[in-house]
Amino acid sequence: MQRILSVWLPSWPTLRLRRLSAVTPDRPLATVETVRGLRRLAAVCPRAEAEGLSAGQALTEARAICPSLEVVDDDPEADRAALASLATWCERYTPLVASDPPDGIFLDITGCAHLFAHPSPRPSPARGEGEEALAADLLSRLERSALPCRIAIAGTPGAAWALARSATARGTCTILPSGQEKEALSVLPVALLRLEARTVASLRRVGLKSIGELARQPRSEITGRFGPVPMLRLDQAYGTAAEAIAWPRPPAPWGERLAFPEPIGTPEDLSLALAHLAQRLCTRLEAAERGGHRFTATFFRVDDQRPAIAIATARPVRDATYITKLLKEKLEKIDPGFGIDAIVLEAEETAPFALPQRALSEIGAPLQPDLAAAIDALANRLGPARLWRAAPQESHVPERSIRRVPPLAPCPAWQVDPSVERPLRLLHRPEPIEATAPVPDDPPILFRWRGALHRVRAASGPERIAAEWWRRTPDAGRPESDQIRDYYRVEDTDGARFWIFRAGLAGTPRWFLHGLFA
Amino acid sequence: MPTLDPALLHSLRTQLQALQPRARHGVLAFGDARVDACFPAGGLPLGGLHEVAADGVEAETGAAGAGFIACLLARLPGQLVWIAPQPDLYPPGLPAFGLDPSRLVLVQTRTDEETLAAMETVLREGAAAVVAEAGRLGRIPSRRLQLACLKRGSTGFVLRRWPYGRKTTPEDTASMTRWRVGSAPSAAVLREPGAPRWRVELEYARGGLEGAWIMEMEIFPNATHPLRVVAELADAAAAPAFRRHAG
Repeated sequence: MQRILSVWLPSWPTLRLRRLSAVTPDRPLATVETVRGLRRLAAVCPRAEAEGLSAGQALTEARAICPSLEVVDDDPEADRAALASLATWCERYTPLVASDPPDGIFLDITGCAHLFAHPSPRPSPARGEGEEALAADLLSRLERSALPCRIAIAGTPGAAWALARSATARGTCTILPSGQEKEALSVLPVALLRLEARTVASLRRVGLKSIGELARQPRSEITGRFGPVPMLRLDQAYGTAAEAIAWPRPPAPWGERLAFPEPIGTPEDLSLALAHLAQRLCTRLEAAERGGHRFTATFFRVDDQRPAIAIATARPVRDATYITKLLKEKLEKIDPGFGIDAIVLEAEETAPFALPQRALSEIGAPLQPDLAAAIDALANRLGPARLWRAAPQESHVPERSIRRVPPLAPCPAWQVDPSVERPLRLLHRPEPIEATAPVPDDPPILFRWRGALHRVRAASGPERIAAEWWRRTPDAGRPESDQIRDYYRVEDTDGARFWIFRAGLAGTPRWFLHGLFA
Repeated sequence: MPTLDPALLHSLRTQLQALQPRARHGVLAFGDARVDACFPAGGLPLGGLHEVAADGVEAETGAAGAGFIACLLARLPGQLVWIAPQPDLYPPGLPAFGLDPSRLVLVQTRTDEETLAAMETVLREGAAAVVAEAGRLGRIPSRRLQLACLKRGSTGFVLRRWPYGRKTTPEDTASMTRWRVGSAPSAAVLREPGAPRWRVELEYARGGLEGAWIMEMEIFPNATHPLRVVAELADAAAAPAFRRHAG
């Protein structure tokens, strides 16, 4: 049975501004938006509300009522971002938290509440126990941060949303046992069904003021007149239709969490905690015969920062010592700040991983050294794109005839053609050289590269390599050397061998040096 | 002139051999007595660090040195790693040296320090051979690398390369051998370049002798020893440059 907690932060934009200390503390505050050239109040703080102001009022009217009103332009983007970061903070209660713009947060506390229950002599706490404690904890923490809010816990997101915002609810926290949504909601106004203001207005115009009244109407009539949304919202609130909330961080089934009674910060403590988490995670992975490819350790700092380190391995692993070693290499990047409350280690990608069985004849033979460990260490230190194995690619253009494959991926075999000689070093891009050739079609007898003069003693070629016709574009901006090249292998008087080419067929030939033979 | 007792001579020889450092992880023979005699174990000792340097433009491009190393790598079974800050090694050029490019894991680093650190990591994990292209190699890094080689019997090659044309300063290193490889004019036939020839100088071999040769490589080799000594160079006369830096 799902349990959803909905937090409502009334007039969230003003709360945000007050927390930023960007406004005078004891003056009434409101944010203003411009709607069709008219300046209206968007959100009003409780003090301004007490003065008789309300959202939607014209600014001039508001100023007449309350001359001391402080006015700030509204900034929905900043409001949304601040709400999202508050939602992230709420992950201390449950991993499933989603912000519910403009002024709410949803928490899926299914199965989490009992963790906050006071220690009880009973071995298994009853369902629902701990929800009060969780809600009280959340309320008091938000209260202390000057964020007055209202909370409701119910079996469906719709019911929790409505109860959190209902004016009739007593106190700041409502807890509704699952299955009682129908009774609890029927007396509430239809505006609490998360409907558009226009729909609410037209529902009220026909006399449907409470949710119960709406539920008693024939469905087809309501759908025909107001569209499918009111009935859908009703079903979702009652729990007869499913509702999906887009959680920003979908739960990783392979995660382990370690919370500390006191914040920790020394590298020794952190690496010990990481080793402990890795051990726990690997035990679980082993039981499921799986291994992880990518691991992330997230550090929950006391000041709500969440630095994380990520590692990746070429093959699935579940060796706790190995994972800890890779994580420790990156631990120095973590700034513990004022201390770390909790650490979560997650295996983000897992794959089936069973230990290979060795044949009877192989037992006792020395194991082939495996480079996977070294490759993982380097890939995590340098970045995975800096390690590769070269695989052939079907192209005659030298730059395009190889492609990079991951170091432990199967590498296709190289077809060797002894009649084609390729240099051992290929320059990143061909470098222009000054060459002197007796006849345009002959290899040069003399060329200058990087300031040094080379006299050609022997040469072979040409080997004509043209770009594939489907790549040739009649673009004047592209260099001619991309189109047709005549390659020569030349040896200078010192015995150094170069791979040079002449670009272009028409006009003055231009010479480039592209590679070096050993 | 006193006659030497053959039995005494034999026992002296065995004693001398026992004193010499033994190659614990085998050797890679060149197949030519003139070269192999320079090493106490009769071939390039495996499980150790070797340095290959070059002069002039070769110090910038590192082409001949890379070819020389590729020739040796082709005859070592197992996993190979090539670490370099500049990714200009062109794998399609390797089959000419008998080396299958798919055996090679290529690693691109940013600095010399990173290159040598990566080399140490891989050597300790037991790759068959690791090649690192680095300019500077101090005494302590080379000592660390030599110890890393001993751990699993991996062989390390450091190709001393200055892509931006820095001067070579003589350095005291702990490598087992130090080579200087440059290109030499090939036996050109009708203005066609012949098989590549290198001027290979063995500047230092631990417990062994120095030497300098002109070697020719067999392209697409199928013989056991693709490097063939064409000529032996008289050390002092042929290699004045390395004499200056030796040590």
